Amino acid sequence: MGEKGSDVVQGTLDMLILKTLALEPTHGYGISVRIEQMSKSVFKVNAGSLFVALQRLQRDGLIRGEWKATENSRRAKYYVLTELGKKRLSSETREWERQVTAIARILEAS
Amino acid sequence: MSLLRHIASGMRALLRKKQVDAELDQEVRTYLEMATADQVRQGKNLGEAKRVVRLEQGGPDSAKETVGAAGWESFVETVWQDLRFAIRTLRKAPGFTAVAVLTLALGIGANAAIFSVVNAVLLRPLAYKDPGQLVTILMNGYGPVSVANYIDWREQSQSFEVMGAADYWSPNLTGVDSPEHIRGLKVTQNLFPMLGIQPLLGRLFVEGEDQSGSEHEVILSYRFWQRRFSGDGAVLGKTILLDGNAYVVVGVMPEGFQFAPFWATHAELWVPNAFGERVHNRGGNSLRIFARLRPGVALKQARSEMATINAHLELQYPGTNRDVVVTPLKEKVVGEIETPLLLLLGAVGFVLLITCANVAHMLMARAAVRQKEIAVRAALGAGRLRVIRQFLTESILLGLFGGAVGLLLNILGSRALIALSPPDIPRLETVTVDGRVGVFLFAVTLLTSVGFGLVPALQSRTVNLNENLKEGGRSGSEGIRRNGLRSFLVASEIGLALVLLIGAGLMIRSFFSLQRVDPGFNPRQVLSMVVSVAGSKEADPGRRRIFYEQLLERVRSLWGVQAAGGINHLPLGGDLWGWPFVIESRPTPRPGESPSAVYRMVTPGYFQTMQLPLVQGRDIATSDNVTAPGVVIINEQAVREYWPATNPIGQRISFDSDKSNPTWLTVIGVAKDAKQDDWTAKPGPEVYLAAFQNHDFLGDSGSEVVSHVSYITLVVRAAENPAGLTSAVRETVWAFDRNLPISEVVTMDEVVAAANARPRFEMLLLSVFAAVALVLATVGIYGVMSYSVSRRSHEIGVRMSLGARGRDVLLMVVRQGMLLALSGSLAGLIAALLLSRLMAKLLYGVKPTDPLTFAGVAVALGVVALLACYIPARRATRVNPVVALRYE
Repeated sequence: MGEKGSDVVQGTLDMLILKTLALEPTHGYGISVRIEQMSKSVFKVNAGSLFVALQRLQRDGLIRGEWKATENSRRAKYYVLTELGKKRLSSETREWERQVTAIARILEAS
Repeated sequence: MSLLRHIASGMRALLRKKQVDAELDQEVRTYLEMATADQVRQGKNLGEAKRVVRLEQGGPDSAKETVGAAGWESFVETVWQDLRFAIRTLRKAPGFTAVAVLTLALGIGANAAIFSVVNAVLLRPLAYKDPGQLVTILMNGYGPVSVANYIDWREQSQSFEVMGAADYWSPNLTGVDSPEHIRGLKVTQNLFPMLGIQPLLGRLFVEGEDQSGSEHEVILSYRFWQRRFSGDGAVLGKTILLDGNAYVVVGVMPEGFQFAPFWATHAELWVPNAFGERVHNRGGNSLRIFARLRPGVALKQARSEMATINAHLELQYPGTNRDVVVTPLKEKVVGEIETPLLLLLGAVGFVLLITCANVAHMLMARAAVRQKEIAVRAALGAGRLRVIRQFLTESILLGLFGGAVGLLLNILGSRALIALSPPDIPRLETVTVDGRVGVFLFAVTLLTSVGFGLVPALQSRTVNLNENLKEGGRSGSEGIRRNGLRSFLVASEIGLALVLLIGAGLMIRSFFSLQRVDPGFNPRQVLSMVVSVAGSKEADPGRRRIFYEQLLERVRSLWGVQAAGGINHLPLGGDLWGWPFVIESRPTPRPGESPSAVYRMVTPGYFQTMQLPLVQGRDIATSDNVTAPGVVIINEQAVREYWPATNPIGQRISFDSDKSNPTWLTVIGVAKDAKQDDWTAKPGPEVYLAAFQNHDFLGDSGSEVVSHVSYITLVVRAAENPAGLTSAVRETVWAFDRNLPISEVVTMDEVVAAANARPRFEMLLLSVFAAVALVLATVGIYGVMSYSVSRRSHEIGVRMSLGARGRDVLLMVVRQGMLLALSGSLAGLIAALLLSRLMAKLLYGVKPTDPLTFAGVAVALGVVALLACYIPARRATRVNPVVALRYE
């Protein structure tokens, strides 16, 4: 993993966004910053792919957006997790953990 | 749920584009501002912060683009954009658009028109229940069958669920204001139930109604009901007089119902067929047999069963039941027309290919001019696929316009086809634009559009960005590859056109040799009509002969009439009877080998009127009457077959079935061979009996056999215009009796034309297609050569400034064009050699590989191609080297 941080693993960006929003509703930049912070700068999210993912998640009914003023009194669209989104997050987390354990087992085998 | 949300959200993006755009714009901007602010907070100055964010995240537009392109609605949007752009582009070039759309419309419309005919005639199933199970059983596949045979088959066969039979019957409708000769059928009771069609009104025949003595019901066709009863619902139970006998109307068939589907296709009414004493008749063949295969029985089984039955019957009754053929009804109906129709469909398909090629290189020429535009678009980030899509959108749009105009042409074209077509094409009246034609039209349109659009679209990939964006981009000589493709298109156009021209040439040659056929008689200026006496007072045996004689006498005295006579059935136009006979003092022939001849009955004056020369002996005279000894005139073919070594004059023959005491007829003359029912067939043996000696003709034989006739066909030779005599002759007939129906009023010229109607139709259509192909191919080669000359003006300028003379340039250009024409022609000749074999069946008097046609067409096409090259070549010689070079 280089200095600049790497792109998010294919297909996991949605899960990371859901997780971020599960902690606290926030706007696009907030999501991006949170992912970067929480991953300790391993993952960097680009605006283009972030907004594509947000649009997709909205259309899937997993998140909902609403316009609000930020603390710096800018207008920003805040995203909130829906019920469906919560369910999806927990199922995806479970699935992810299962896969990670499995991969770890394979890698640890000697 | 999710799908619905996707659609709803996509629709919102499409319909409220501004708002959605604005929201996204603000979101992205806020994001980038926040990111910049963060960078500033980390100690960078504003300019550097902006730069870093831009590097990391990309500009606001690129992010928006990425989001915008992710949803399905963006696809719709691009199509819409492409479409609007295509419309703008096409509107900017109205000339190009008009020519392309018209060319396409011509190709598509002609294809759809022929396809609608093929669809109605060949593809659509017959309008009966389960028509695939229906078959006909006929002698040699076309000839009628005797009653006794029908009964044997019906009783002995197991393969058929039902077997029914029909007799042709054309009675006189009398007891009404305008008496009429009507075409109808006598059918067995089981026939209509077998077809599975319910009547519109009333009922079908019931069992027992086809027994002798109780056959006095009639079922009407829809048309007859409309025509004669104005569609009156109270028609059931009414009585009509047919040949003077009363028939009760019991039913009316639905509109569009047609039976029989071949042979007596114009039947307007049906009555029960009572066989009476004919059940034992094996000699008189008049029945057409229809049957429905039992479910699960294959045609092959039915055929082998019938073969076994007929082999037994032949043992029992030698000389009968040979060559009985079981044919699927559909095949019987469309069998003959299938080849010409498929040929026409193939020809019109060629026209479509040429159309495609033509439009394709029109588009390619345009694409070459638009190279700079494409290069600009590529430089601004349009991907290859995007450019190809733009091109395809344009061509599909062109195709759709072409298809729409083609649909109009199709409707007009199929109307014209029906109007032009010979009357004997079955089911032509059912031609409509139905779903299948619609699908065909649409599929052809799309295929065509993609076909002609893909080539230039793919070619646009090879655009060289650098070269084309350079100021005043060099329009030097073209790359070999593109030139090669265009040359290939033109050469194939010429090849296809050549094939069509050769096809048309063969048909034209064949048609002219048909025109040169000598019918034996002189059809010019002869009028004919059928006068029926059945059901009138003239039908009385005592009066009939007097009526005929007086009628002929008065017609001859009409002003403008040169000669007049009568016959039972007109050659080429009427029915054809064949009869076996015996020759006096020859050994009894083996069964099945007795001499037979086409059997006609004529009045004195017939040969003179038809100008059918007697080569030997004398004509039938008025003195050859009932009291005089029987006489007969035979044709040359009869002499060749039955009196090859002897003089036939004075020989005696007999048609009597009564072998012990036959009525002998003395041969008094030999007539030249005349065409019988087929224009191209060699006439078989034929005999002409004296009508006024014949008891069947005079109606006093008292027999019930089929040779009974109750009408006379008048033939009248006019001094000038035969059709002009119609009303005079008609009035002469009606002066005797207002109730005598007159039908089938035609001139002999019309009869001859009708006998040639189908070849004329085929020739006409094929010629039209070939002409269209020729024009398109000429336009194609002209277009390509002019284009090539204009693109090469720089090169030509250089050549001329280096000393090339006008003639050299002319030759160079012409040589290039003619090389294309020659290679195309060569391929076309080979294809024509292979394909023309398929039309051998349609040709008369000319071989499918007729060298004259091949050579003639190739030379003619070469000359046209030369002209098409010459004009652009002339233009090339006028290139001014100074201007051409300075222009660069």
